[in-house]
Amino acid sequence: MSPWLRQHRFAFGSALSTIRKSPGSFLFNVLVIAFALTLPFAGITLLDNVRPLSEQLSVDPEISLFMRADASRADAEALAPKIRQIVAPGKGEVSFIAREEALASLKETTSLGDVIETLGDNPLPDSYVMKLGGFASAGAAAQVDAITEQLRTLPGVDTVQVDSAWVKRLAAMLAILRLALLLLAATLSVVVIAVVFNTIRLQVLTQKEEISVAKLLGATNHFIHRPFFYTGALLGLAAGAVALGAVAVALRPLNTSIAEFARLYGSDFQLLPLDGFAVAGLLTMSAGLGLVGAQLSVRRHLSRVS
Amino acid sequence: MIVFQSVSKQYTHAGSRDAYAMRDVSLHIAKGELVFLAGPSGAGKSTLMKMVAAVERPTSGKVVVSGHDIGRIKPAGIPFLRRNMGIIFQQQRLLNDRTILANTMLPLLVTGARTAEAEQRARAALDKVGLLDRARAMPLELSGGEQQRVAVARAIVNRPQIILADEPTANLDRVAADKVLDALRAFHAVGVTCVISTHDDQVLASAERVIRLEQGMLAGGEA
Repeated sequence: MSPWLRQHRFAFGSALSTIRKSPGSFLFNVLVIAFALTLPFAGITLLDNVRPLSEQLSVDPEISLFMRADASRADAEALAPKIRQIVAPGKGEVSFIAREEALASLKETTSLGDVIETLGDNPLPDSYVMKLGGFASAGAAAQVDAITEQLRTLPGVDTVQVDSAWVKRLAAMLAILRLALLLLAATLSVVVIAVVFNTIRLQVLTQKEEISVAKLLGATNHFIHRPFFYTGALLGLAAGAVALGAVAVALRPLNTSIAEFARLYGSDFQLLPLDGFAVAGLLTMSAGLGLVGAQLSVRRHLSRVS
Repeated sequence: MIVFQSVSKQYTHAGSRDAYAMRDVSLHIAKGELVFLAGPSGAGKSTLMKMVAAVERPTSGKVVVSGHDIGRIKPAGIPFLRRNMGIIFQQQRLLNDRTILANTMLPLLVTGARTAEAEQRARAALDKVGLLDRARAMPLELSGGEQQRVAVARAIVNRPQIILADEPTANLDRVAADKVLDALRAFHAVGVTCVISTHDDQVLASAERVIRLEQGMLAGGEA
């Protein structure tokens, strides 16, 4: 083993030895830091679960145009070229849905088949569905509104609906949530660094004599700093693990409630714990925050120990 | 080995300069010499030792130790200079939460030595000061004299070229003091340069060379 590696092993051993000497204090600090980390970790878990769901939903505007009930099939089909002209060519996809087709689809996708059978006549009108590409940005909303207005003026048209508004709202909400989470994580990172900073400050004060003697015996600054760095990183790592554990435990009761709610919508949606890659990333980040706190503290306080 | 050329040291507190701790001291200590520093408290003995160990830098003049100019040595170089020294303090300064063996191993571990090798050499050093059988004891379980001998073992474990001992026999009875001095003389006998400060007249009476300091200056009576 190289001297460099030996010195790191020695420093790691020293850090563990310091932790063993006052496990209560270490545990308390771990809990304080874990408390700060739990909230952003829970937010990340929530976003990680919701993101794929929101990505499946199209944010491109979708316009549904319904003909009046008294409009004939010929009237409806005659609108196709005009509609294509209004929806700029190449920017959208226009599909005609005949009333028979709509009824068949309704029977197939809902459990209302028996109810529909009792109606006798088909109550659904002929319709057009237009998926507009390249209108996803907020700035394009006015253009979509203009298209909608033009479609409403066509002969035989009863109703025109823009169907993507709620998806846009959801996407905007997720973006805001993501930004809020980022700000929260940044703020709580400062809290984590501050707690580690203070913990290491107290350790430096406790080990002042040991540091002073080691310096006189020929210890380099690196030799003296390393155990504190390891302590900070271990503190962050342990706190990160506790926070992730707390989030995983909290998912169980949450999922029980979510399952009941999701069942009402015919979904089996559940909040899942983060995958191994994300867990490793968050643990690395926690250890990194501990290391940063320790480095700042060591730089600030060790220079005062002669 | 150790050269002081017109060295003065003045401490600064809150921007104003206090009295001189050392003034215009010039001396030369050759390799392998055993030198005793004598003088009343505040005479400058500890300041001289601190400058040799690069704990303090001279305000003016030049201090050269093993070819290194203490006034100009870079902070990163100081640990490597100290690894060639064994320092013994009046109050031993042993780490009370570690065994005698662990205390003695420390100067080797800071250099990145293998633990097994450090333990072997620490045991040999403890054997030389007659404390091998107390290797697993804690410092506070030992008498003052035994603690000071552990400090000697810690100072010699890395086979230093220079031993600096600041009042190593203060607070010890005659028997314990003699054991500590005998250990230091044994290392001087194998070519180690020893600088020992003491108030002990009995020791000074039999000393080969004594450097007397008074009020930070060399007194006339260097023997």
